[in-house]
Amino acid sequence: MNLVEVKEDVWGREVLLGVSWDLLWVVLTLTAAAIVIHLLIMAFLNKPERPSASGTHLTRHAGVDRGFHWIMAVSVFVLLFTGVLPIIGVDFDWLTIHWVAGLILTAAVLFHTIRAIFWQSPKEMWVSPKDFQEPFDEAVKPGKYSFLQKGMHHAMTLLVLVVIGTGLALFWVMDTPWWSRSNGMDEATLGWMFMLHGASTLGLIVLTALHVYFALRPEKRFYTRSMISGWISEDEHRANHDPGRWSPDQSG
Amino acid sequence: MAAHDVMPDIELFQPVTVEEASAIASRLGDKGWVLAGGQDTYGWLKDRAKSPQAMVDLAAIDGINGIEDRSGGLRIGAMTTLREVSRNPLVRERFALLAEAAGKVASPQIRNQGTLGGNLAQDARCWYYRRGLSCYRAGGNICYADSPEGMNREHAILDASRCVAVSPSDTGTALVALDATMVIQNGARTRRVPATEFFVGPAVNITHMTALREGDILTAIELPADWAGAQFYFEKIADRDVWDFALVSIAAAFKASGGSISDARLVCGAVSCVPYRLQAVERAIIGKPRSEETAAAVAGLASQGARPLNYNHFKAPLMENLVKRALRA
Repeated sequence: MNLVEVKEDVWGREVLLGVSWDLLWVVLTLTAAAIVIHLLIMAFLNKPERPSASGTHLTRHAGVDRGFHWIMAVSVFVLLFTGVLPIIGVDFDWLTIHWVAGLILTAAVLFHTIRAIFWQSPKEMWVSPKDFQEPFDEAVKPGKYSFLQKGMHHAMTLLVLVVIGTGLALFWVMDTPWWSRSNGMDEATLGWMFMLHGASTLGLIVLTALHVYFALRPEKRFYTRSMISGWISEDEHRANHDPGRWSPDQSG
Repeated sequence: MAAHDVMPDIELFQPVTVEEASAIASRLGDKGWVLAGGQDTYGWLKDRAKSPQAMVDLAAIDGINGIEDRSGGLRIGAMTTLREVSRNPLVRERFALLAEAAGKVASPQIRNQGTLGGNLAQDARCWYYRRGLSCYRAGGNICYADSPEGMNREHAILDASRCVAVSPSDTGTALVALDATMVIQNGARTRRVPATEFFVGPAVNITHMTALREGDILTAIELPADWAGAQFYFEKIADRDVWDFALVSIAAAFKASGGSISDARLVCGAVSCVPYRLQAVERAIIGKPRSEETAAAVAGLASQGARPLNYNHFKAPLMENLVKRALRA
């Protein structure tokens, strides 16, 4: 199995075509295995009593942020399905849906970046030395976001930025309603673009699968609920967060 | 690319049943090559642009050649030669459109050996692709034909998506016009695919021109009685009268009632990656007579949406003129 696809052209030169899609099955298998192992471990661990969802509601996510999250989620799923299904042999007219979803994702990420920098507190997502104690010491509780949530966010940010950057570069050389294709990128550069686009796609598959898995886990489900309704309860806040590091307002 | 006078070493399978052929083709996967008349095959192999390890020759299989009457329609075995299709009395009587299209394929020698199935399933003729370049159709990331310097006189002006190669099949245009159905067998499973869905554009699958996949054997083409004995028109414009692919072709079928067209199919070849149905023209001519006036009124619809490349702007007016000729004939 190769990591990348190459082809020898008629002049005997090796041309990089992109990532080897054999890796898709490796990635899917390893992700599924990781999830099964986590499920088994969690099944054998003592289940602490879950905090109550009743009581005072505290604001975790504003409506606009929830909107961004779900727009991003839908566009990532559309991008993954339209990108991967044709590779595994499901034929359909995928390209237009793919680039439209890509543009929506790009706009959503731009919006989120501007909002996070100017209207929110980027510090909430910064990783501090104290965060590294969290996985090893139950007494250390996070601020708004846990160490794992921050890790997931930053890994997702990196992959999404790579996939958007390479996607826009590939978009530039294809036919769109606004311009005609140019073939203005040489084959070697195109190969690198496809390689990075494919590799970041594989990474996004892993992260998306893990994100969905954790979002559905019973002890984390209140975070998912907060991404829909916007609030967590006072009890959930007390059990999972350090009020000294994050003290949310009461939900209106 | 080096030229070769001889064939490469290759393992040959000669199954006698479709099931056996399908099983071997499935087992070989992309290392195998299904061989019908060989007219598309041997160029690939001699140029070493494709190098399968084994060939599955369909010639010894009973029941996939010949022409049968089917309740006013016809069932044509995929291994029936183009010569037989073009000369068979039943085809000529009921579906002269197909007989004419088959009679225009390449040259007499090629029609003697080439099969209807092979003509439908043949690969793109884009020379960049056939030269072995790593273009989109070959699994790469670029189209050499659609570039500022690309030689694209023969390429697509409609419905291109990254790859601009055209469907080279003359009989394909006729079969789309006749609402034919392709019978495809894979193992014990048989599926019937309408001709319009048999040909696949690059937007849907950029490396395949048809719906055939590993293990699939095209066994027959079924022509329903619906268009039997209708009025037909076929014309193929090419640089040479024989042994050439179409620059643009048209296959048209008309049903008339009281001097007016009651139903019609007009399909252009070599303008798109699939035989291209002129549905706007078809709709516009219903209820009108086949006449010079009708032809002049609707011809402009034929090339609507065309996006010519550097060297094939001539295809748009050629399409329109072929529609005129079909309608006033």
